[in-house]
Amino acid sequence: MSTSLPFSFTEKNLKEYQEILSRYDDIESALLPVLHLAQEQHGYLPTVVVEYISSLMGIPKIKIQEVISFYDMFYDTPTAKKIVQVCTNITCSLYGGRKIHQELLSHYNTQNMVPTKDGEIFIQKMECLGACEIAPCIRVGNDYYGPIQDTQEALNKIKGESANP
Amino acid sequence: MNSNLQPNFNYVLLSHHHIPNVQEIEVYEQAEGYSAFKKSLSLTPDFIKEEVKASGLRGRGGAGFPTGIKWGFFSKDREAKKYLLCNADESEPGTFKDRFLVEKNPHLLIEGMLISAWALGTQKGYIYIRGEFYHQAKILEKAITQAYQKGYLGKNILGKDFSFDLYVHRGAGAYICGEETGMISSLEGKKGQPKLKPPFPAIKGYRGYPTMVNNVESLAAVPWIISFGAARYRQWGTEKSPGTKLFSISGDVKKAGVIEVPLGTPLKNIIEDHCGGMREAPLKAVIPGGSSAPILTAEQAYKVKMDYEDVASYGSMLGSGAIIVLDQTRSIAEILKWTLEFYHHESCGQCTPCREGTGWMEKIAKRRPSVEKTSTPEEVMDLLNRVAQNMRGQTICALAAAAAMPTQGILKAFPEEMKAYFGNLKS
Repeated sequence: MSTSLPFSFTEKNLKEYQEILSRYDDIESALLPVLHLAQEQHGYLPTVVVEYISSLMGIPKIKIQEVISFYDMFYDTPTAKKIVQVCTNITCSLYGGRKIHQELLSHYNTQNMVPTKDGEIFIQKMECLGACEIAPCIRVGNDYYGPIQDTQEALNKIKGESANP
Repeated sequence: MNSNLQPNFNYVLLSHHHIPNVQEIEVYEQAEGYSAFKKSLSLTPDFIKEEVKASGLRGRGGAGFPTGIKWGFFSKDREAKKYLLCNADESEPGTFKDRFLVEKNPHLLIEGMLISAWALGTQKGYIYIRGEFYHQAKILEKAITQAYQKGYLGKNILGKDFSFDLYVHRGAGAYICGEETGMISSLEGKKGQPKLKPPFPAIKGYRGYPTMVNNVESLAAVPWIISFGAARYRQWGTEKSPGTKLFSISGDVKKAGVIEVPLGTPLKNIIEDHCGGMREAPLKAVIPGGSSAPILTAEQAYKVKMDYEDVASYGSMLGSGAIIVLDQTRSIAEILKWTLEFYHHESCGQCTPCREGTGWMEKIAKRRPSVEKTSTPEEVMDLLNRVAQNMRGQTICALAAAAAMPTQGILKAFPEEMKAYFGNLKS
């Protein structure tokens, strides 16, 4: 069955998968890192990925879907080449984080967590990113930037960065 | 990321931070790194546990429970399967100290975990780091690889009958995973929902085995305590809050960043001396211990000393040591709305008082309830206060209280401003 599925780990990621399993005393504990790996490969975690992971790890699909829906960094709908997270917690909001979030949505003519039509940008409002000393901060892919003076600076940071791995 | 603040070389946690490339194991070793661990292996586990207990070190994640006493609850059967779990899920709004610690000096944490593992007899450890801290996770993984190469990790460490494996586990964006039983659920590959206590994780934790969960900063203090002794650790701080503490300071000060100061340091000194004073306008209020901590007025903030007892005496808490400074241009109502939005988003949903209460509070704070009985601002505030009060002590974990406390704190500290706000609020 699994061979007919449209998603499967690449050769390299299958090795990575085996390495991940070796860190844990049971297979369930490896679920979060395995989902991170699958999302790095596929961009998001739709049903086909869930089905593949389920058959690979022997974990019921519903348990995997439950986990995906619980965590802010797992996505079950399409993302984009660049995931842009904008902190809107207290300190970042004091320094314009919410305004930057809204203006980025307008600039890209999109909504929160809806990828732009060209599949380039996905903007996500986030709670405290843990970098309040550089408020307001944004996270593009895995990189933090701040203090972001205004939306133009945010746009420069977004454009200047390589694609989200 | 760099902090703007100069590290203080004389203390416990940031004493290596000024050394270039200290994240490389050779550099760390040249600066006496891993010497505390080597010393530990010549000491008995009981001695180490007693020393940590005598130091009075209190859990730095936020609760402030004495680490040595927590260790005392742990299984003493060295052969039994047990885990050591480092809480690096740092998500309390305003907090960034653990990130600052591990990204510059990952080996200090690893050394602290090794000493703790030797003392506690744990065979395996995990550093649970929040998912957003991708680069910090990579820094830790690289440091762990180096520690394996040097023989500090793995089987029969440094020729001793002691084996310890250590791994980094990335979270995926959920505040509740910083709660230790939520973290265990998450590590088990589940939703990060907290579990009923008892049993406490020290008895029955990860996968049902005894699990010791300690914060990054607590574990990172252990090497110094072992090198220099509990008595010298107590040269800093107060009788009940000994030692030094990292504070993450942000908001309307000239210089934001992380500092290490003795517990009991006046907040006024932190703001004026360490942070260069206020940025533009005078002080209005301070959130002293992360967003869960009730707000302090300027008057209180200029009097309070930053130790567990003194902050508590003002009806607030030291928490994670996240200080958010607000000047007179800031709206307290906005702070309340942002805070409640956060807790509503982060409630894990399993307990009704929290799942519903956080949502109700957010709604009340943003829109006047369309109920006749709550037409006046006083009645709205009373309703908000009652919802908050009814959430406390009714749930599996402390998230409900963490949402209720700052809400009640704001209503108490700024009643006139909130009254004016609710008076203008549309239904």
